[in-house]
Order: sequence, then structure tokens, then C-alpha cells
Amino acid sequence: MLKPCRYCYRLMLVAWSVITLATTASAAEPSLSIEGNLRFQGQGNETLNIQGVVEADILRPVLEAFHQRYPQITLHYHDASRGERPQPATVPPNVDLLMSSAMAQQYQLANAGYAQPLGSGVINPDWPESARWRDELIGLTHEPLVMVYRRELADIAPPPEDHAGLLALLNQKNTALTGRVATYDPARSPTGFMAVAQDVARSTEAWALFDAMGEADTQLLDSTADMLEGLIEGRYLIGYNLMGSYARRAVQDHPDLAMQVPTDYALALQRLALIPMNAPHPEMARRFLTFITSRQGQQIMTTRTPLGSPLLAFEGATSPDDSLEPIQLTPGLLALIDPLKREALLDRWQTIFDTRSIAAPNIVEGTVE
Amino acid sequence: MVSAASLHRRLLGGLSLLLLLTCTLLLLQSWYSAQRSADRAYDRLLASAAQVMSDHVSWRNDRLWFDVPASALNMLAPHGDERVFYALIDREGHLVSGNAALVALIQDLPATGSFQTSSATFNGLSLRVGALGARLTGWHNRAPYALLVAHTLEARHAMTWQLFRDSSLRLAGIVALAVAGLLMTLRLALRPLKQLRRRLKARTAHDLSPIHVRVPRELEELLAALNALLARQRQVRIHEQRFIGDASHQLRTPLAGIAASAELALRSQDSAHWHQALQEIQAGTHRATRLAEQLLSLTRLHSPEAPLTRQPVALATLARETLVRFLPVADKNGIDLGLAEPCPELSVAGNRWQLEEALSNLIDNALRYARSRVTVGIDAANSVIHVEDDGPGINNGEQDDVLRPFHRCQEQGPGSGLGLAIADGVARAHGGTIVMHHLPGGGFMIGLHLPGEMT
Repeated sequence: MLKPCRYCYRLMLVAWSVITLATTASAAEPSLSIEGNLRFQGQGNETLNIQGVVEADILRPVLEAFHQRYPQITLHYHDASRGERPQPATVPPNVDLLMSSAMAQQYQLANAGYAQPLGSGVINPDWPESARWRDELIGLTHEPLVMVYRRELADIAPPPEDHAGLLALLNQKNTALTGRVATYDPARSPTGFMAVAQDVARSTEAWALFDAMGEADTQLLDSTADMLEGLIEGRYLIGYNLMGSYARRAVQDHPDLAMQVPTDYALALQRLALIPMNAPHPEMARRFLTFITSRQGQQIMTTRTPLGSPLLAFEGATSPDDSLEPIQLTPGLLALIDPLKREALLDRWQTIFDTRSIAAPNIVEGTVE
Repeated sequence: MVSAASLHRRLLGGLSLLLLLTCTLLLLQSWYSAQRSADRAYDRLLASAAQVMSDHVSWRNDRLWFDVPASALNMLAPHGDERVFYALIDREGHLVSGNAALVALIQDLPATGSFQTSSATFNGLSLRVGALGARLTGWHNRAPYALLVAHTLEARHAMTWQLFRDSSLRLAGIVALAVAGLLMTLRLALRPLKQLRRRLKARTAHDLSPIHVRVPRELEELLAALNALLARQRQVRIHEQRFIGDASHQLRTPLAGIAASAELALRSQDSAHWHQALQEIQAGTHRATRLAEQLLSLTRLHSPEAPLTRQPVALATLARETLVRFLPVADKNGIDLGLAEPCPELSVAGNRWQLEEALSNLIDNALRYARSRVTVGIDAANSVIHVEDDGPGINNGEQDDVLRPFHRCQEQGPGSGLGLAIADGVARAHGGTIVMHHLPGGGFMIGLHLPGEMT
């Protein structure tokens, strides 16, 4: 397991340096986007490297606002969400701020001591305690996992509103839905793994749903973006466990899509940020965190990106939902990614989905690594 | 005068020091016991978490299987922000599952059924590690394994602080009470002293009556000494009063004689009467002058402002020179005045003027009462300079009284009654005494015993 990891790691490094070279070549441009990467050239010689699993375009308004506020800082944003690989047990080098919705992995890194303290006075003091751990981890966003379906699904059956409804739909309309359901591939996407593991940890009934999904030859994808792409193009009818932030934006742009927050329970993920111990510019990362957690930063995030704010979520700015079940920052997260447990879960997953064709070519298409 | 540290301060200082020492020891003790309590409590938590985890260890697919329960991991972080580590180790010591290589932190794998805790450092983190030894409970497979759990020490530190703070607060309360009690007790205990002081301060200079106040046993002695001093002062005062009275009385006698003689002479027209009156007046004046001189000597002797300056005084020379001054008087009275031979050379440390005065008085006194002979002698062996005469001497019963001023054996005697008192004063000033006794062959000896001779 180690060797391929190291390999992809090296690949990533090479890709990173290529990008860095490419971007520095055209440093005159104020901002530049290459394959999920963003670069804002600063006037000074200060630098901030952010690695996240949010698409660069989604986060762009926040990054732009930060760049306007601190024009002297050269800002790199690298989106690692496309073609996500299981994270290695250490943090990548040369990253000042690591953001990810793979909460268990982030928690594991911080738990093992790979994160440095955020420092006092960095985070907005109003920031909810439930979105902080040890002054090392901070949940920057608050977003539910949702279902998205195409409106033409109503022609087949009434669209599902909760998990039981989805299961019933899959069992009843198996043939009509075969190959037209999409969800995360837990083997390839840590965020997807988090979603599946939490579903199972919450109730073993989830396996019935996954069995039914296997029966329906559900397509396993790497990212919410891929699922949304397929849904928009009409390849899929239903997507399960999509990141609410992306889905909300896609549904706004595409009226033939509808988003359903499960009414029984909707897991709410936090995108956790940490400053790695070996970050080259931790002070810049702190400045960014101060900016993004400020009321102004959260205002920009909630109005100009689809991301949900933990600060405003508890103030009723966005409608609070009873079915939302925020995933807590507790050591219990470690149980989700226990090697044996992960293996067992993936084994069982694999036996359900072993009939499906492995990795359609279009999935790897956008990968930057 | 530099005063010694106050009793109050001394007592307070000593007791405070003791209190401080006790407090320090108690604080240390409570810190260690708080630490022990916290460790005991959270070690038990580690054990429980490991027990819960061991319920989820099984044998599946020909290997150890572990379904780590999230609740057990949450248990390991009672404070919420502890870092949590766990590891399942098989009998060979290989990691089956877990999030840290904890096996490197323990010495030996724990025996089956045992739980042991230890402190360790892992990647720079201070950890408390619990190791549970267990075996599978299946019918066919009873493979042993070890479950290691560890957490960082935040909860322990918090609990230690909490316990320590509580016991420190209790201690602070006790100390505050003790200090208040101490101050009150000190004030109460030292109150009799204050009262005594106040009574003494309130007294007038003439009030020499004994002090009557109830005092604790420790002060009784002081009060007794004080009262004794006051009694002596009273005695001295009485003596002084009597002395002044006596002196006035003595001075009045010659002055009254002078006045009477002058009055008689004034009434007479006879020049022979005048001459006799003038002679009587002269004699009276002499007596008055002599009395005044002696009074002056006595006052000087008793004056505390004039300390005695001592020099070596050769007694033989002194005797000879003093004797010579009295020869004319002795001749007039037909008394044989002389120096006893052999006259040893004895030298004492003393004041020459005083010694001469004392000796003069002794000779003067002897000349008044002697019938025919007065001899001055020196007894080197006993360090005594003495005067012998063949008069009647002083009765044994009166020998103490004659040393008091104005005491005379015969009420109408020729002397002033101060001579022996002066001699006694000089002897005392020199640390000596007046010695006197009747001589075996008739006659009387009186002498100055002067210790501290210088040979």
C-alpha cells in the first residue's frame, strides 16, 4: 500500500512544480487558472500556498477578496479534489494551509501532531466550538450531503425524500434506474469514504441501500463535480451523497435538476483546515484564516459561493434544518478510517459492486496529478 | 540605646515561619496527591476503554479482526481535546490495526488478563499508555493479543489543577483563620504587659508605692523585682529626708550658739566679754564650717555623677602625711599620736582624696575619744589601714548604727556624727568595709578594709 502512495506523491510533486513554473512564467497576469489551480501574483514577496479539495472556481470569490485585501501576498491555490487519492499519513510539503472535507483524515493528521496551533486571536472568537478542535483544526464550511435528481425522474416514480424512499425506489424501479444512479467511490475518494462510513456507522440499514445500489449498477465516481456533470448531461437520473455546496449551485444553473436534502437525516460535513507543522509560511495561512473566518469573509463565502458558513448557520442566516446531523470533531472519527475497518468496508463494498465496469475513462479526465 | 526586637514581632515571626513551612509541606503533599488521584481516575478510564475495545476483537478470515468502536475512542478523550491513539497487537507483537505504533512505547507485551499503564513520549507528545493483555474467547481459537490505548494528558492536568486548587483554597482559608487567631492570641497574651506599662507611665515621680496589678506567672517575678526596687527607693527617700533634717538640725546648733554669743556681747559694755564672745563665735564658725565640709564630702561621695577615678595609692605615705596634719591638735590635747612600726609598704587602687578624707575622719574621731594614745597602722596581710586608741570604743551592739550619718554614741558629744559615715561611704566606694573591734589589752581599733590591693 505504501509504494503506490509514494509514487502518486512524487507525481503530485512533479505536477506541482510544473504548475508553479508555468504560473511564474506568466507572473504579470493578476490571476491565472490552470486545471483547478489558481494563482494570484502579489506585489510583495510573501507567499501563501493553499491546498484544498474545493474546486478553485468555487472558492475563487473568497480568494479574490483575500487578494484584494492583501495584494502583496502571492496566493497559490491547488485543488486536489479531482482524482482524489487516499491521503498519505503525512501532509504534503510546501503547503501552508490544508483544507479538506475528508474529516477523518484531517483529524488523524492533527491527532498525530502534524498540525501547528492556529494561535490566539487568529480565529473569529464567535466561531462555534463544534467547528474547532484543540486550536489545530477549524471547520471552515458547513454543508450537508444531499441527493440530486433530474426532474424527469418524476415520470418514472415520485422522487425520494429520504433514505428509505431512495431504497424503495431502487428496489421498485430497478430496471429503469440501472446504470443511471451515481455516488462517490469510497475506495478512491476520502470524502466519499467518509460519507459511506458515516452512513454505515449511523445504521447498518445503510447496507441494504448500498446492496440495492449495487443491483442497479450504480456508477462510482471520484467527485461531486463528476456526478453533477453526468446529471447535467443526462447520463444519470439520481446522485446520492453529493456535497450540498456544489449541488446547490448546479441546481440554480440547471432547472432540470432538483436537490433533495434527505428528510430523515442529512450528514453535514465540515471542511477542516489545518496549518501543517512544516508549513513554509504559517503566518500567511493565519492571515487567511483570520480573513475567511471574519464576518466579512463569511459574508463573501455565503453570498458569492455555494459553501455554507458554520458561523452564520447557527445564527439562522440559512434555514436551520432539524435533519442536519453535523459530524462531530471527536476521536470517534478515527474509527472510520481504521485500516482494518476501512478494508472490511471496502471489501464489502467491492463484493456489492464487483459486477460494475471499473473506472470509466471520463472519470480520470480532469485529474491534475 | 538599641532596643531588642519586640516580643510581638518575635512571636509573630516565629509562628509565621512555622505556619509557612507547614503550608509549603501541605501544598506539596496536596499537589502530589492530586496528581495521583488524577492518574488513578484516568488510568481506570484507559482500562475501561481497552475493555470495551477488547469486546470487538474477533477471529475472521484466519486473522485477528478488530471492529474499533467509536464510543471507546471517544471515551479516551474525556476532555474533548486529547490526542488519542490505539493499537491492536498480535502475539508476535505485530500491529494488526490502529493509528500509531504504540508497541514501541511499552517494555513487554502485557500478560493475558492484566492491564498496565505507563507514561511515555511519542513524537514529542507526552502520553499515558495503557496496555491490556487478553485472548480470544472462541471455542477453537484462544489466540492472545494486546490492546494498547493512549491519550495525551490534558484531562489529567485539568483534574490535577482542579483538585490542587480546591485543596489550596481550603488551605488558604485555614491559614487566614490561623493568622487571625494568632494575631488575636498575641494581643491577648501581651495585654498584661501593656497594662503594666500603662500603670507605670501614669505614675507621678513621687509615687513610690508598690504596684498592685494582676499579672500572669511569667510577669510576677518582674513585678516583684519592680516592687522591691520601689521599696528600696522609698527607703532611700526616707533616709534622705532624715539626713536633710539632721543636717539642718546640726547646722542650727553652732549657728544658734554664735547668735547667742553675739547677743550677749552686744548687751555688754565690757571689752573682755566681747573678746570671749568673739572667741566663742570663732569656735562656732569653725564647727559650722567643719560640718559643712563634711556634708559636702558625703554628698560628693554619694553623687552618682562623679565616678571614682582610681590610682595606685601608697597607704604608708598617706598615713604619714595625714598623721602629720593632726599632730598640732594631738599635742594640744596631750595625746600621743603616732605610726605603728613596722609600717609595711601597701599600695591599693583608689582615690587618694577620698582615702585621705576617710583616714582623717577616723583619726579625728579617735582623737576625740582617746585618753592618751592614738596609733595609725597598716595590716598588709588583711589589706587594712587602721587607727587604734585607748578610749572606751564602741559597743558591739552599736557598731552598725555608728556608720549612719548623725549617729553619736553620746548625745552631747563633740563630733558632728558624720565622720564614720564618710569613712563608711569611702570604704563602700572602694568595694571595702569598715572593720572595728575591741583590742584584747583594752582600747579599740577601727580600720578601712580595702580589697584589690596593688603590690
